[in-house]
Amino acid sequence: MGALRLEGMSLFNRRDLIRTAGVLAFAGVTTTTARSQPAEAATPPGAAVPGFLHGVASGDPLPSSVLLWTRITPTPGAVPGSGFGPDVTVNWEVAEDSGFLRMADRGSVRTGPARDHTVKVVPGGLRPGTTYWYRFIVAGATSSTGRTRTAPAAGTAVDRLRMGVVSCANWQAGYFSAYRYLADRGDLDVVLHLGDYLYEYGPGEYQARDVVVRPHDPAVEMTTLSHYRRRHAQYKTDLDLQALHAVVPFVVTWDDHEFANDAWSGGAENHTEGPEGVWTDRKASSQRAYSEWMPVRFEPGGHIYRRLEFGALASISMLDLRTYRSQQASSIVDPAIGSPARTLTGDAQMTWLLDGFSSQQTQWKLIGNPVMIAPVRFPSTLSAQEVGAVQQLLGSTTIDGVPYNVDQWDGYTADRSRVISHLRDNAITDAVFLTGDIHSGWACDVPADPLTYPTNGASVAAELVCTSVTSDNLDDILGTQPRTASVAVEEAFKGANPHVKYLDFDSHGFSVLEVTPGALRMDWYVLSERTSRAATSTLSTSWQVAAGTQSVSRVL
Amino acid sequence: MSAGSPVSDRRQFLTLFAAGGASVVLSVAAGDAVPASAQTTVTPSQTARTRVYVLVVDGCRPDEITAGLTPRLAALRAGGTNFPGARSLPVMETIPNHVMMMTGVRPDRSGVPANAIYDRAAGVVRDLDRPNDLRFSTLLDRLREKGFTTGSVLSKRYLFGIFGERATYRWEPSPLLPVTQHAPDSATMDALIAMVDKVDPDFVFTNLGDVDRVGHADVTGTTVQAARTAALKDTDNQVGRFVDHLVAAGAWESSVLIILADHSMDWSIPANVISVDQILSARKDLRAQVAIAQNGGADLLYWTGPPAARDAGVAEVRALVAAHPGVLSIAIPADLRLGVEAGDLVAYCRAGWRFSDPYVASNPIPGNHGHPATEPIPFFVAGGSPRVVTGVSSQFARTLDVAPTVGALFGLTAPAGGYDGTARTVAFADGNARP
Repeated sequence: MGALRLEGMSLFNRRDLIRTAGVLAFAGVTTTTARSQPAEAATPPGAAVPGFLHGVASGDPLPSSVLLWTRITPTPGAVPGSGFGPDVTVNWEVAEDSGFLRMADRGSVRTGPARDHTVKVVPGGLRPGTTYWYRFIVAGATSSTGRTRTAPAAGTAVDRLRMGVVSCANWQAGYFSAYRYLADRGDLDVVLHLGDYLYEYGPGEYQARDVVVRPHDPAVEMTTLSHYRRRHAQYKTDLDLQALHAVVPFVVTWDDHEFANDAWSGGAENHTEGPEGVWTDRKASSQRAYSEWMPVRFEPGGHIYRRLEFGALASISMLDLRTYRSQQASSIVDPAIGSPARTLTGDAQMTWLLDGFSSQQTQWKLIGNPVMIAPVRFPSTLSAQEVGAVQQLLGSTTIDGVPYNVDQWDGYTADRSRVISHLRDNAITDAVFLTGDIHSGWACDVPADPLTYPTNGASVAAELVCTSVTSDNLDDILGTQPRTASVAVEEAFKGANPHVKYLDFDSHGFSVLEVTPGALRMDWYVLSERTSRAATSTLSTSWQVAAGTQSVSRVL
Repeated sequence: MSAGSPVSDRRQFLTLFAAGGASVVLSVAAGDAVPASAQTTVTPSQTARTRVYVLVVDGCRPDEITAGLTPRLAALRAGGTNFPGARSLPVMETIPNHVMMMTGVRPDRSGVPANAIYDRAAGVVRDLDRPNDLRFSTLLDRLREKGFTTGSVLSKRYLFGIFGERATYRWEPSPLLPVTQHAPDSATMDALIAMVDKVDPDFVFTNLGDVDRVGHADVTGTTVQAARTAALKDTDNQVGRFVDHLVAAGAWESSVLIILADHSMDWSIPANVISVDQILSARKDLRAQVAIAQNGGADLLYWTGPPAARDAGVAEVRALVAAHPGVLSIAIPADLRLGVEAGDLVAYCRAGWRFSDPYVASNPIPGNHGHPATEPIPFFVAGGSPRVVTGVSSQFARTLDVAPTVGALFGLTAPAGGYDGTARTVAFADGNARP
């Protein structure tokens, strides 16, 4: 498929130039109105070497530094996951202008097969709240130019922070148009990725209903270091994802599919000990590949939960709800759900989270929360088919005839009580959970007490859930048209859960979060068709949390 | 004059007539002549100056100010600068937070850490309601020293007590309702309007007590909050009356209003009671050496036994009290900058709980404050003065910030040793660059 590969490369370069031009022309202004062109088919790398075939990225902005990422393919054989290819020196440059005339920092770094030829550097001494351009250079090749932005200085007043919020992007289920639309906006300070950035399955195991829109590479479930590296590399060839990484820093955490479905500290639903290796090895491999391939301040042996601050306006605490969690409950005799001996966060992370709520000097306390924290009770009026479909979506299990969301905070109520009690007892204000995982859009209050909430509306926090970029949701599981059968199910759920104010079980897309001192607002954008490269995007609804209210209300 | 009486024999009296004919009696500082303006109403020609009014809606929660329930307060908030992250400071009670507003310093400098303390010298638990309990200068007297006139219109007996004769003009709350010992907001507002109308101080400090007093007693507080809601509506009307009066008098364009609460309110069900007396009932040796000053959501504990046994005794008390499921935390007073008057330990309850000491039946009221759950407060700067800007700030304003903020408006220098609070000048067009 050499011809295709060449065609793909030429398109990539052309698009990259367009992107760069767009960055120059529209830096700092509101999104362009020009209709974005859908990305062409991604092409496996390997044609033009040496080359930066997987794009550039930045992440975890601090006031004086930001992490920069790329991957160099030095020789044709140095393909991801192969372990082949020489060690090379990669030079990097950061400048205050796109022409690299006002250089802010520069340096060089060695990489090689030991880290799959990925490059992560952290330039220091940058100015807060400032846009920078960066690029990587080896003899014979220069990367595309990326744009990034440092965080505002600690404690400074910030009028506005705007974030893209995404989760659950299954390559096999469609195209990443959501990333394209976010890239084209030009008005984002950061993109928050709440997990399921990639999926472990092989072709035919999990796709768009029954259709594999584009097959995973390698064509097996990823279980080894080589698999995880190749899969990361494949995702990084997506031009829409490359475009988004190139124009805005990401703040990421993982959920389960970065490892395997419904992962916990000692295993996963989609892991068979023995035939699929030893879980600790598999987990280590997935975390290592993640640290190599993602623009994140995480290295194996450390922890990914961390907090970033944006002046006095907001902080984001990114949680890891897979590495330390106890196994999901599976039966009523497995006492489980409310047992204080079981944990979702682990003790150290819980202490860090709670202490952070109390000690922070930022107004909005945002929590990058991979799985839902608001309680969700199943309505009694659903059909068996509907119950089964929603359970599939939420990762629920029926225990003694009652569905429990064992994979979410609902399955770890002792840990949830610690969080909710802490928020309530200390009157923590403006805490907002930003959540992914369940392929659907929700706006909820987090009740101080679900029993009295219907009478007093007492809420300790808000929770806003973004939908999936591509991954299946209720209409896909039910095999129905969007916004038909699901609508009644949504109404039943809202009726049984008065703190759930908005629920969309069907749409795919992305969210944009705008944070100001007066209110925090989330816009849900939905895609016309995830399996089409030419999908259009429509603003579906907007909900806000007015400062000091801990409660969601509809804007649009 | 009995001990603790807030008034001296040197005061002069001024009887004013409020709209509707009710009489309002003000006392006037000795040596301060009754100004000519006492004879006439405010006139537009006086608008060159800035008038500052601090209105404390006692015990109001920030989420209770809504366009539907409290439209006048909500409109003022929307038109001014709001601080949605604002908080009360330990101990989250009325007297210490009013003192922090007027001094700008922490209790370890003012001598006023709580409503109720154990007075070691007298050997009794009592309210801090005496003028000499407050050891620091306040805006009310510091502005006077600079040639400005000040007023206090405080609805609660004990607030009038502690601030005493510090203001140029003082209203002595009347009529005092039985049990609550506070004047209803309608009477308080009559007094404020009469004071502004007749003697027109540069600065007036006002406490509106109804929302707090009704909140304490609202047995539907954990759910429907029926009585509380009615009080909020009424207080909102009273604030509206004041604004309307300033507008009608032509003083609105020169007025700055700082509206806040001293603390918020949390309701407990009857069973959620913590009694340190009961906790220590099995340890009569310890109980005999501990005095308890109950402050609703906080208990101040004082070691009264031999000094040599103090450390071990306090540690034992701490461990026993901390084990109660309703106890949130126990702090050392110095860590909260409360000073020696606060004793040896400060115990906080969780949301939905209350302390009741010295007996388990001592505190039957459902609405309480003093604990961290009651820290969030409304805090906004409003008014018709062109100095007031419209906006929302991420800054965590505190009760402590009122004195430096008002001081900045009048060009007042900081007191000796400086303020512990911060001037929230982001609310003003002529303020400093936003921090």
